Amino acid sequence: MSDEVAQARANENAGSTPGEARPKVVFEGVDKDFDQGGQPLPVLRGVDLTVKEGEFVCLLGPSGCGKSTLLNIAGGFESPTAGRVTIDGDPVNGPDARRVFVFQEYGIFPWASVWDNVALGLRHLGKAEQAAIIQPTIDMVGLQGFERSYPMELSGGMKQRVEVARALAVSPDVIYMDEPFGALDSLTRLQMRAEIVRIWQESQTTILFVTHDVDESIQIAERIVVLSARPGEISDIITVDLDHPRDLGSPEYGRIKNRLFETLGVSHSI
Amino acid sequence: MTATPYLILVASLGVLWFASAKMGRGRRWVMPICVAMALFVVWHIAVTAAGSEITPTPLEAGAAFAQLVKSNRLWGDVVASLFRVTAGFFLAVAVGIPLGLVVGWSTKTFEALNPIIQGLRPVSPIAWIPFAILWFGIGDGAGVFLIFLSSFFPIAVGTVAAVQNISLVHQRSAMNFGLKGVELFRRVVLPAAMPQIITSLRIALGVAWLVIVAAEMVGMDSGLGYLINDARNMGKRYDLVAATMIVIGAIGIVLDLMIRRLERFDEVRWGYAKR
Ligand SMILES: Nc1ncnc2c1ncn2[C@@H]1O[C@H](COP(=O)(O)OP(=O)(O)OP(=O)(O)O)[C@@H](O)[C@H]1O
Ligand SMILES: [Mg+2]
Repeated sequence: MSDEVAQARANENAGSTPGEARPKVVFEGVDKDFDQGGQPLPVLRGVDLTVKEGEFVCLLGPSGCGKSTLLNIAGGFESPTAGRVTIDGDPVNGPDARRVFVFQEYGIFPWASVWDNVALGLRHLGKAEQAAIIQPTIDMVGLQGFERSYPMELSGGMKQRVEVARALAVSPDVIYMDEPFGALDSLTRLQMRAEIVRIWQESQTTILFVTHDVDESIQIAERIVVLSARPGEISDIITVDLDHPRDLGSPEYGRIKNRLFETLGVSHSI
Repeated sequence: MTATPYLILVASLGVLWFASAKMGRGRRWVMPICVAMALFVVWHIAVTAAGSEITPTPLEAGAAFAQLVKSNRLWGDVVASLFRVTAGFFLAVAVGIPLGLVVGWSTKTFEALNPIIQGLRPVSPIAWIPFAILWFGIGDGAGVFLIFLSSFFPIAVGTVAAVQNISLVHQRSAMNFGLKGVELFRRVVLPAAMPQIITSLRIALGVAWLVIVAAEMVGMDSGLGYLINDARNMGKRYDLVAATMIVIGAIGIVLDLMIRRLERFDEVRWGYAKR
C-alpha cells in the first residue's frame, strides 16, 4: 500500500471532526467468501471504508472483483464472512426500506405501470398523499407523460429512470446503485450521469455507486474507492476536487484519470 | 357422381389462390383454407378408393353434422361436456393456483408436498374413472371430479415452476421495500408468476377437453364422448362419429382462443414479449 493510500485511509477513518459530515455507512474489516464447489472463493478482503452522510462515493474496480457483493452486503442482501457494516452506528442485518437499491439488472416490476412502480414504497400512504410525491418524482426524472406506460414500452434509459424514481420516492437516506447505466448507450449514459448528479445535489442523499467505468467515476463521484481484482481489497481512495459541472478537459481530471488507470494496472495510451 | 362438388371446390380454390395476390388482410386465410380443403379431398378420395361402405366421406360427415344440429341431441351433449369441463377447471384453478403459489415460494412446503404431487401426476385421470363413479355415481359429479384431477396437476405444477422462476432482482426489490405476507403475494409473487400461470391454464384446459371425451366414452351417459359411443353402438353411424369429432375439435379451438385472451392484459404482456 502506498503512503498516499495509507494517508488517505487514515484520514478516512479519523471519524467526524466538528463541522464535518457524520459517518453514514461504515464498513469494518469486511471479508466475504463464496462457496465454490466446496472450496471457499475469497471475494472481498479487509474492506474498511467510511461513507459520510450526503456523500457521493463511487466503487470502482475490474469486473468480478466483488463490487456488487460489497454493495449487496451494505444493502443487507448478503452477510459478510467476517467484519460488519453499520449504518448510523447500527449493524445492517437485512434489507431496509430507508436504504434503496438500484439494481444492475432492471429491478422494476414489468407487470406494473410506471406510476405503480414508483408507488411501491409509498403503499402505506393514502392515494392523494401518494400522488403528491409520485408526480413530482416522475417529473424530476423526466418521465412525465409516461405514468401509465409499462416498462416493456420504455427504452432502457427510461426504465432506469423509473427505478431511480422508485428509489427517490421514499426519500431514502442511502441509495445504492450497482452499475445502473451499464446497459445504456454512451450518450444516454452521459445524460443519466448528469441527472444523477443533479438529483444528488437536490436531495442530499448519500449515494454509493458501483461502476467499472473510470470516466463515469470521475464525472460523478466526490470520492472514488478503487478495488483490486478478486479478492477485492481497497487499493486506492481518491477525492475528486472538481465542482459540478465538471470540465472533462481540465488538468485535474487528467491527473485523476492517470492515477486511476495506474492503480487499476492498465495503460490508457493505446 | 359424388366427386363433382370437389372438383368445383378445387377450381374455386384455384381462383381464390390467384385472387389472393390482390387481397389485404384476408390473405393469410387463403393458405390454411386451401390446405384444409386439400385434406378433405384426400379424405374423400381415400374413402372412395378403398370402397369402404361404413367410413364416411366428408360430404356424409357434413350431412350428419347438419342432422346433429337439427336434432336437439347435440346441444344437450355439448352443454353436458362444457359444464363438466368448466366446473372442474375452475375448481382446479381455485385450488391449484393458491397451492402452487405457496408451494413455489416456501422451500419447506415444496419439500413436503412436491413428492406427493409428482407421484400422483403420472396417473392418467382415466384410471380414476372407477373410483370417480364409485364416489360420485354416473353423472356430472364424476365428470367434474375427473376434470378437476386432469387440470389440477398442470396448473399446480406450472404455478410452482413459475414462482420458482421469479428473478432474484424482483425478489430483492420486494425485500428492499419491505413487502411481506399477503402483500408480497399480491404485488410480486402472483403478478411475476402470472404469464407462466396463464400458459399452464392453457395446457390444463387442453388436457381437460381431451379427458372429458374419453371419460364420457368410458363411464358416462351424456356428453360429446357419450354421443360418439352412442352413434357407433346404435347402428354403426360412423358419419355421426366423424361429425361429433369435428364439433369436439371446433369447441377445443374456441376454448383455447378464449383462454389466450388472458395473455393480452397489460399486466402479463411482458411475459410473452420477445426481450
Ligand atoms: N452468489 C454467489 N455464489 C458464488 N459466487 C458468487 C456469488 N455471487 C458472486 N460470486 C462470485 O464473486 C465474485 C465477485 O462477484 P461480483 O458480482 O461482486 O463482481 P462485480 O465486481 O460486481 O463484477 P461486475 O463488474 O462484472 O458486475 C465473482 O467471481 C463471482 O463469481
Ligand atoms: Mg456487479
